Amino acid sequence: MVMDKLGNSLQDALKKIVKSGRIDERTVNEVVKDIQRALLQSDVNVKLVMQMSKHIKERALKEEVPSGMSPREHVIRIVYQELINIIGKSTDIPLKPQTIMMIGLQGSGKTTTTSKLARYFQRKGLKPGVVCADTFRPGAYQQLKTLCTKLNVAFYGEEGNPDAVGIVERGLKELEKNDILIVDTAGRHSLESDLITEMEEIHAVAKPDYKLLVLDGAIGQQASEQARAFNESIGISGVVISKLDGTAKGGGALSAVSETNSSIAFIGIGETPDDLERFEADRFISRLLGMGDIKSLIEKA
Amino acid sequence: VFEREFILEEDDLEEPLWDLEMALLESDIALSVSEAIVNSVKSQLVGTRRRIGSNTGNIVEDALKNAIYDVMSANVFDLDEYVEKAEKPVHIVFIGINGTGKTTSIAKLSKRFKDQGMSVVVAAGDTFRAGAIDQLAIHADNIGVKIIKHQEQGDPAAVIYDAMQHAKAHNVDVVLSDTAGRMHTNINLMEQLKKVCRVAPPDLIIFVDEAVAGNDAVERAAQFNDAVPISGSILTKTDADSKGGAAISIAYITGKPILFLGMGQGYDDIRKFDPQWFVDQLFGE
Ligand SMILES: Nc1nc2c(ncn2[C@@H]2O[C@H](COP(=O)(O)OP(=O)(O)OP(=O)(O)O)[C@@H](O)[C@H]2O)c(=O)[nH]1
Ligand SMILES: Nc1nc2c(ncn2[C@@H]2O[C@H](COP(=O)(O)OP(=O)(O)OP(=O)(O)O)[C@@H](O)[C@H]2O)c(=O)[nH]1
Ligand SMILES: [Mg+2]
Ligand SMILES: [Mg+2]
Repeated sequence: MVMDKLGNSLQDALKKIVKSGRIDERTVNEVVKDIQRALLQSDVNVKLVMQMSKHIKERALKEEVPSGMSPREHVIRIVYQELINIIGKSTDIPLKPQTIMMIGLQGSGKTTTTSKLARYFQRKGLKPGVVCADTFRPGAYQQLKTLCTKLNVAFYGEEGNPDAVGIVERGLKELEKNDILIVDTAGRHSLESDLITEMEEIHAVAKPDYKLLVLDGAIGQQASEQARAFNESIGISGVVISKLDGTAKGGGALSAVSETNSSIAFIGIGETPDDLERFEADRFISRLLGMGDIKSLIEKA
Repeated sequence: VFEREFILEEDDLEEPLWDLEMALLESDIALSVSEAIVNSVKSQLVGTRRRIGSNTGNIVEDALKNAIYDVMSANVFDLDEYVEKAEKPVHIVFIGINGTGKTTSIAKLSKRFKDQGMSVVVAAGDTFRAGAIDQLAIHADNIGVKIIKHQEQGDPAAVIYDAMQHAKAHNVDVVLSDTAGRMHTNINLMEQLKKVCRVAPPDLIIFVDEAVAGNDAVERAAQFNDAVPISGSILTKTDADSKGGAAISIAYITGKPILFLGMGQGYDDIRKFDPQWFVDQLFGE
């Protein structure tokens, strides 16, 4: 697998430091170059990678290697700290009554994630209700209704009515007895100004506690720009990375949270309502760098 | 070497090549593909003679442009011409990862063929995703083409087979078969795709991916192409990401042409792929 190949090359590079026994500029440059490659290959924003690697290089050369720590451990720790700085903690979504609005690009996984979240809260003993505010994509109503019916989750939608804002207003009222209200919206991107305006109008009537941006795990360099636009428009409370069951690394999500100062809440790992996991920073970083478990690597070092 | 010439050395190229590689990465061309293209340009240029005073940056950019043009114009394939000449019904199957735009692209192409005066049937081969059959049925209804569908959770191969039988019986020109989105790493679903192609053999298989995809485009294009050899690809959502470097990753790794670009959610938001136009806009001209 590609991931392993990359992992090995990075580990080889890090071994070079052990062999050389001390930290010199050439070795650090080599390692940083490999880290750059790993991050770029994982779709982290190019400018962010360059900025980060410069910082890592400076720190690795400047900071004294703590006693009892190998030079290799030292560099890994710096890389890890820099990444953790950006990622922060996973978005905390409390288990209490609230309204959540789903937003994101076309086909990113909003509707599927809506059903996954409904399931998640249902399992925690809360009663979810779902509103279909996607009046744009053919079949959106049927898709969400089918998913909700299977899960026995309350659903509100108005087939054929294009007035998404009105639907949200009526839907939230109709479903107000439920604990968790989730509003699924149509896919849109930053250049579709009509749809961005519609999203702002939905936001104004839904007054959601959480706005979750659903990002495809494979999204490339557009991630920062799109996240910035959504954030500017209505604000982002957290990110869900979908489709991490394939080979995508999800570096776009890193760019997005860096750009918007938000954090990651969940990851999607399949098409069924149960394929949702809480976000774990350590595993995510391991995946980004193409390394095995980063914690154990540091401990092993 | 004549007096007014100099020889390009690796050192002269380093910086302009690095800058261009960064630009390629920012356009979402996968790292492995960017590196391969940049390296080929480098080996092609090192040691060549240039007129003194010529700008190395421009030389490198021109060479890179040509290299990308070569990738994008290899094995050009004109779908309209093919369909016009081929024995009818022409069967085209659409495949790809979840949510890339397969169903929408089928809708767009149905309209395109219909506008060209051809009869079209669409096959609802995505029996898995909630609402998928309804989605295609609404499109078919909007456009005015016939849909062949079974129940949700039915056998996709059977639906598509039925659509072909129907098309043969009714002298239909083109059958466009939808399939469920799937991960290239899902062995069962990839086997199912092979089965579809055995039971109702397509004349063409079109891989659909999206412009917003980054490095993974290479991986999945390669694996889909390995499983069921594709004829070409469609890159959707270029309205969200105008650079569309993923097209280069896909064309490079599969050696198959990009056929169309999707550029919006409307039925007419599809454009035939033109390598020259693509390279020009990639380099911001
Ligand atoms: N393999 C996999 N597929 C997923 C995942 N999440 C969503 N999908 C699939 O991705 C496709 C698109 O998902 P949707 O939920 O319809 O996406 P959306 O954002 O609502 O799309 P629009 O409403 O058209 O903007 C569907 O085929 C889903 O089954 C995931 O985590 N893994
Ligand atoms: N902006 C934009 N959106 C597009 C384009 N093509 C498709 N879409 C949208 O992307 C979303 C997913 O499109 P679908 O056609 O359902 O994708 P799919 O590949 O069939 O998805 P699955 O069947 O779930 O795997 C829908 O909201 C479409 O309207 C395009 O060229 N531009
Ligand atoms: Mg949706
Ligand atoms: Mg589809």
